[in-house]
Amino acid sequence: MPDETQQGGSGLAGAASLVITAWALLGGLLLLAVVGVNMVSIIGSIFGKPFPGDFELTEMGVAVAVFAFLPYCQLVGANVSADIFTSGASKRTIAFFTLLGSLVALGFASLLIWRMYFGMLDQKEYDYTTTILQIPHWIAFIPILVSLALLAVAAVVTLLRDASALAKG
Amino acid sequence: MTDALVLGLGALAVLVFLIAIRIPIAYAMILVGGVGTMMLNGPALVLSQLKTLAYGQFSIYDLSVVPMFVLMGAIASKIGLSQALFRGANAWLGWMRGGTAMAAIAGCAGFGAVCGSSLATASTMGKVALPELRRYNYSGALATGTLAAGGVLGILIPPSVVLIIYAVIVEANIVTMFMAAFLPGILAVVMFLLTIAVYVAIKPASGPKGGVASSTEFVEATVGMIPVLVIFGLVIGGIYFGFFNPTPAAAVGVFLVLFFGLVQRKLSRTDFVAALKETAGTSGMIYLIILGAELLKIFMSRVGLPQETAAWIAGSGLEPMTVLIILLIALIFLGCLMDSLSMILLVIPFFWPVLVEINGGIYQGADGAGFGMSTDDLKIWFGILALIVVELGLITPPVGMNVFVISSLARDTPMIETFKGVVPFFGAEVLRVILLVSFPAITLWLPQVLR
Repeated sequence: MPDETQQGGSGLAGAASLVITAWALLGGLLLLAVVGVNMVSIIGSIFGKPFPGDFELTEMGVAVAVFAFLPYCQLVGANVSADIFTSGASKRTIAFFTLLGSLVALGFASLLIWRMYFGMLDQKEYDYTTTILQIPHWIAFIPILVSLALLAVAAVVTLLRDASALAKG
Repeated sequence: MTDALVLGLGALAVLVFLIAIRIPIAYAMILVGGVGTMMLNGPALVLSQLKTLAYGQFSIYDLSVVPMFVLMGAIASKIGLSQALFRGANAWLGWMRGGTAMAAIAGCAGFGAVCGSSLATASTMGKVALPELRRYNYSGALATGTLAAGGVLGILIPPSVVLIIYAVIVEANIVTMFMAAFLPGILAVVMFLLTIAVYVAIKPASGPKGGVASSTEFVEATVGMIPVLVIFGLVIGGIYFGFFNPTPAAAVGVFLVLFFGLVQRKLSRTDFVAALKETAGTSGMIYLIILGAELLKIFMSRVGLPQETAAWIAGSGLEPMTVLIILLIALIFLGCLMDSLSMILLVIPFFWPVLVEINGGIYQGADGAGFGMSTDDLKIWFGILALIVVELGLITPPVGMNVFVISSLARDTPMIETFKGVVPFFGAEVLRVILLVSFPAITLWLPQVLR
């Protein structure tokens, strides 16, 4: 279970935590919107007026929502790890291991920002759109890039937290 | 051995090492998969794949049910469904010796029908049932053991997140998998109830009789179970009978739990925000592992490790059943060390090709197949078996998460008592796996009838 008290903190880290949590909640609302689209589609098909494009709205909506969840996962430590092998290790050693984890997350976020930015340009250049509603795919990449930037921020926050735990020993 | 294979085995060793030093499992897979493919084919390929790979994975339509079912379960655990279920079940079963524990099992099963997670089921039912069990002087071992084991029903009874992920990996139909899980799930409930009956027959003091409910209380408590019946009937029933696909069904489920929560004024704003946060944490975690598993799969199939392992085991001359049992035991063992979802994503891409190879290929029909069933049926059967055995890790040491959750709720019962209390249920689960292995029809019958 993520420790809720870890979210707070003062100054910049605290502000970053708030923004990241709010962004995840926005993702949750988007997920609810996808639920709404599916409900409209079901009710529509009962009355013989199916809602075209519910598939692609679901796909796109869920993808964008899930990206919005990633920074929050990093922040509260929701990404599962196997703790059993190191349960006997000292606090310092464990802080070092979680610091490595934060570094990997930071590297991953930076790499994906770089690659998915070019991914977005590709989608734009080739005019990739969804089949029925013709929504350009690159639009989805904008909130996703924001999510990845926040993931990098979250990784920095956890990195600093681990580093100070390591320094204290 | 080729150089590629050596690289693959080395990468596997690095992966195990990274997981062992607490690198989140998802990131360990991403790192090993990504770097491995770069070493094998140069960086250009991975870098160009990364432009759209994550977006592609996260927008898979079949997976969209996962966050919705997670949200449905998160809200369901906040709106008092568990109280209503337990109260209803206790009105029916409480008069018997051990009846209140049986009611807890029935409550877990009912809650499992609206929630796809073991931990959520264990903790939600635990909060409701533990005080009652204490009130009736149940022994700590029986009370906590029952709830830790009952939590497993959250995953076994559809909807089940792990089962959805399995279906996506092996390209099985989610609807078929949900149908296949139904009878084994019922069997689990029956066997858990029998376990309690036997337990209190041997140790009568551990589970005294509760009072008989008055007729008004009985009717009221029974009526209280209606919301859960409606939700399960519409969502899972709707899927079984083909009214809708899993994703719209999950949407209906989310809508219904929200509706009941708001109408009965049981969903406060704080609870709602907490449910959204829980959904964010769980879904984000799951999707990141899915991405890691995909990167790892790309790498491993390029070096040919799963194919080589499959060919090697198929050529070893072992009986198909022996191989199946070895794989199941390996899953039980790994399940004791890791959480079930990451394990399914990590090992099924290795285990499944082995079984396909032994059975005679992807398009093998029932005649002349290694397991005497078509590969399509094998996919369903093995999925259910794998689901059960990986969940056993939740109630066994060293990382029995369900036991930890229940222990944190029942601080007066030492954890060792809880583990002792779980032993009979573990025995029942092993017996159930033996039954399901011996009689594949228990799993395969319902999908055939409903198809």
